[in-house]
Amino acid sequence: MAQALNAKPNAEEVPLAGSAGITVEGRYIPPPEDKDGKLWVRTTALVHADAKTLYEMWRAVESAPMWQEEIAEVRQTGDRTSHWVMRSGDKTIEWDSEILNDEPGRRIAWRSVEGDSDNAGEVIFEPAPGGRGTLVTVLQEFRMGKLASAWETVVGRNPKQAVTENLRHFKALAETGEIPRTEGQPHGPRGSGSKMKRSMYGEKVATPPGLNQRATNRAAGGGSR
Amino acid sequence: MKALCWMGKSNVEVHNVADPVLLNPHDAIIRVTSTAICGSDLHLYDGFIPTMEAGDILGHEFMGIVEETGKGVTNLQRGDRVVVPFTIACGNCEFCRKKIWSACDNTNPNAHLMEKAYGYSGSGLFGYSHMMGGYAGGQAQYVRVPFANVGPLKLDTDLPDEKVLFLSDIFPTGYMAAENAQIQPGDTVAVWGCGPVGQFAIASAFMLGAARVIGIDRVPERLEMARSIGAVTVDYAEEDVSVLTALKDLTGGIGPDACIDAVGLEAHSNELQGVYDVVKTALLMETDRSTVLRQAIQSVRKGGTVSIPGVYGGLLDKVPFGAAFGKGITMKMGQTNMHNYMKPLLRRIEKGQIDPSYIISHRITLDEAPEMYKVWRDKKEGVTKIVIDPWADGDGTRHVRDSRAETTRSRDSSS
Repeated sequence: MAQALNAKPNAEEVPLAGSAGITVEGRYIPPPEDKDGKLWVRTTALVHADAKTLYEMWRAVESAPMWQEEIAEVRQTGDRTSHWVMRSGDKTIEWDSEILNDEPGRRIAWRSVEGDSDNAGEVIFEPAPGGRGTLVTVLQEFRMGKLASAWETVVGRNPKQAVTENLRHFKALAETGEIPRTEGQPHGPRGSGSKMKRSMYGEKVATPPGLNQRATNRAAGGGSR
Repeated sequence: MKALCWMGKSNVEVHNVADPVLLNPHDAIIRVTSTAICGSDLHLYDGFIPTMEAGDILGHEFMGIVEETGKGVTNLQRGDRVVVPFTIACGNCEFCRKKIWSACDNTNPNAHLMEKAYGYSGSGLFGYSHMMGGYAGGQAQYVRVPFANVGPLKLDTDLPDEKVLFLSDIFPTGYMAAENAQIQPGDTVAVWGCGPVGQFAIASAFMLGAARVIGIDRVPERLEMARSIGAVTVDYAEEDVSVLTALKDLTGGIGPDACIDAVGLEAHSNELQGVYDVVKTALLMETDRSTVLRQAIQSVRKGGTVSIPGVYGGLLDKVPFGAAFGKGITMKMGQTNMHNYMKPLLRRIEKGQIDPSYIISHRITLDEAPEMYKVWRDKKEGVTKIVIDPWADGDGTRHVRDSRAETTRSRDSSS
């Protein structure tokens, strides 16, 4: 997302109280529309884990590379501040992030303050109706033109899509302890349109590792077959 | 290892590819001892399913021996013999908890593709397009099985592969079709398509109490097989046969209590509507040929049930929804919730209530598979079900055919 994100830091304190909420006083609130160089994405997932566990998983920012696409490293720089490194192909971008609002077990809001990415976001954890797990809702804003966004879609993952996919990875990791993947599986000779197809299918973006560094057990029965 | 790869429409080839490796904590690697070609593989072969890529390994009906397990797999060990369900389920999401395993939220890495096409994503499947997960399939010597802690059924029996292999898809699929048909003792059930799923739907309908089952097809050996397990058959390709009239005639005019569409999107029909569908799909104005679904809705009795195990992929045209509403019918459908049926159906096999191997007509090597795809697609050589031994060498004998298929063929050529 480096392309268009040069003017910074100008993210306002977008996450108003409860702005990622889907309902306010019983009324459904639609997601914000893209305009004035701002892209918005709101996405939600039903996750079978309690809100406290999920909050803690999200709040442990240094573990974000486990489940967020193309995030190479996150370093905690203070109580509420962190430094993020994102690698997309041969391009690396870095930014600092600060937490604006931190309500344990309920809500986290953040924004970028310095660097190559201009974003702000909020995540809310609330018990699902009927006690069926936790509704996790993310509202994220990027400052980037529609053209740049379309370009990112062609070369990799559209940032809006990335937010949706990251929440999907987060849910899979929380519910199953792994993120489903196919990279590295065998296949026959690929055809001439293969690169384009991989891009179309969104398979060019590496699936985040989940717990894999710790979990692989290739020794038993491995070797040549 | 050797694997059967989809290389384009009507083109599959055997290639030497890398062996699969463990990629996730709940993976297992299985050495495949038997695998089968499914009727739904023919939809891929015919290019009906989007998001296939040259080099994709096909196959979703397979069983074998556990070779290697990831750290998170505690219920299986190297050497265990397993049948693997074709749908991959995580066991922990909202849908798995509700036992709607085929709707699992966490097993399709390409869920976004299905969401774009359908507005939601189902579970990942083996060897069935990138939209359905892009997982390499089991028409190969080895296969990686994700979420092996949830799916594979461990066999503590010495029943031969042929008797248990079809627990991987078609037996549970036929059984769930009969269960979805909400059969009451004494019911009359009509089954369109007497291929493998139709066969198991017929057998299961009887197991669930149907008094009469009507099998509808045009392939003589399939109809004969349906009669061999007790069905009355209707050959829709015979001159002057109207399926709708036949079903009225066979039910005192009221229609079957339940209708099972075990055909799906590539239906054939000699009637005008069938020609209409061929033209319209060719012009890309509709995606699926829905002759069978139309007939099922039109013929089912008032308040009856239409059960659909046949695969549909897109938009249907001329579906008589007014008749569906007017008669107040129930429709049940969907991918099989495999994990609910494998154990109970294994028990039925162990007790000798059914021997699923009766549908097998051909036993082949992997190298023979590309040609057999074509033979089966063209409905030649009396194919009813093809089983592959991925480790067998071709020795010139192309396949073993049982006597029933032989007699059928000789009768065919004389007619």
